[in-house]
Amino acid sequence: MPTIDNFIRPEEWVSSFVTDMGKEIRKWGKERYLPIRREVDEDWRNHKLIEPLLKEVLVDLGLNSAFFPFEVGGADMPDPMAFVNVLGEELARIDAGFAVAALCSTWGLMPIMFKPHRNMELLEEFGPKFCGEELYVGCHAMTEPGGGADIENIGQVKGKTIQTTATLDGDEWVINGAKMWPTNSGKVGDLYTVICTTKLGSTDPDDFALILVPADTKGLKVGSAYQKCGMSADMNTDIWFDNVRVPKRYRFHGPGDDLKYWKRAITIGSMASTAMCVGVMKAVYEIIKDYTTTRVVAGKPLKEHSIVAEMLCDLTMSIESTSAWLWAYTREIDHPEIYGWDPWDERFALKTRGLSIHATNAVERACSRAMDYMGSYGYSREGDIEKFWRDQKVIGLWMGGKGLKTIENARYWYDLKTL
Amino acid sequence: MALYPSNAWCDEWKNALNNDPAVEKTGKNWGVDFNGNFIFELQPGDGLDQTTYVYLEAAAGKCSDARLVKDPSEVDAGFYVIGLYANFKPVVKGEKDFIEGVVRGILKLKGDMSKIMRNAKFIRAVANSISSFENEYLGE
Repeated sequence: MPTIDNFIRPEEWVSSFVTDMGKEIRKWGKERYLPIRREVDEDWRNHKLIEPLLKEVLVDLGLNSAFFPFEVGGADMPDPMAFVNVLGEELARIDAGFAVAALCSTWGLMPIMFKPHRNMELLEEFGPKFCGEELYVGCHAMTEPGGGADIENIGQVKGKTIQTTATLDGDEWVINGAKMWPTNSGKVGDLYTVICTTKLGSTDPDDFALILVPADTKGLKVGSAYQKCGMSADMNTDIWFDNVRVPKRYRFHGPGDDLKYWKRAITIGSMASTAMCVGVMKAVYEIIKDYTTTRVVAGKPLKEHSIVAEMLCDLTMSIESTSAWLWAYTREIDHPEIYGWDPWDERFALKTRGLSIHATNAVERACSRAMDYMGSYGYSREGDIEKFWRDQKVIGLWMGGKGLKTIENARYWYDLKTL
Repeated sequence: MALYPSNAWCDEWKNALNNDPAVEKTGKNWGVDFNGNFIFELQPGDGLDQTTYVYLEAAAGKCSDARLVKDPSEVDAGFYVIGLYANFKPVVKGEKDFIEGVVRGILKLKGDMSKIMRNAKFIRAVANSISSFENEYLGE
């Protein structure tokens, strides 16, 4: 019988190294995470169980070091999106909340991580911490209390509503403002990538600034963990910046280029979100296949009833179509020499929004429909479906939510002028 | 100049590894609590007429043995790298990066991938040491 390894993954586009890394994650998850997954789900406030697990993946399995250059102790992984897809799927199949925590550790650094827009000075300073023996976690601080999706809506709002300010004072940036919701905030994050404006109310791309702030910088405070519907392994809190001072060199690139290369992070975010949706759907596939095979109704396994078979088919079509679409875009972003546009091209960010919407709709439907056929068993903790059902919802809400993603995708395909 | 691959070349490589401070520094944890030995399977072509196995014994930043073996089962290696001789040669010449070859799948690696990820600096130092001395090559 087919397994999750029979869903679409173009072998010729994924090196055996990356495939084997995916197997390592799967093996680790089976041995270390799955036996305590339900306990992890109750650990949202303190992360006593989650923190050591995060170290095992980010440090011991080397995920944190994947994209840093060799010179600072990284693996300088080529084809980064293919790598993120494989590992994102595997991690999300175990726990979507844990997947986002692990993947977001270096997400905020994407605008300085890759050639030709590497900032070696910053990578030399912070790379060894991410690639060292101790757990060191990054956090991309984007959303603000009053802004919601406005910051992500850079195409229309153009940074006008960013309220976190960065003012140059001699050789230092002075940062004031507040952020909320970022993955790995609170006690988890060691280094924040903070989206700021250098001029309040400005729509000039030159005023959009990405600035690094180590968590122990004077004036930075964090709140306690939000209690959410799901995603317990992903800690989200408020962050306040009260006259926080960091060196001038902590700005990623400077006027214009901060925004330009940040768009690559947005594209990677949309695609990694899709990989997570695929991972969750593969978990649902395994659960529902087992349940409908062993559960006997009216004298035959549940899956042998036509109405159930329709749901099972619907799920696998979703996995196949989402995977195929994801891998097609992955090839485009990993191989600009073939497709002719840069990975930070805004058009690519808009285009991948459609993929993200498709994936989040698909995963929501998959979890819900599987639960429909598992009945109360699916609704209970022991059925495990309810965890994925609770966790997946926020994937469609983050990075601007489905509304912004829809408008941006339409803007790309139809050249919208007013939306 | 030693011919790559040969036992004389292996001796040169062992010597280069043991005199390279970068290998010693970055490899202090390599092979300490796991089998860090390598087998490199060079597949024929480009002047090499038969499959050739290079064995490298490495632990704690030092190389204790490097030689050709007739059969990989003669030795105990934690990592097994397979590739065409034509793909190993640019690495030995210093023209191509070993880790990039592995992660791109040009060279196939069997073993604990996470150890490679975590010790990329050491692996790179080992690869750099290969190209630190003059070699001759089959087929050239």
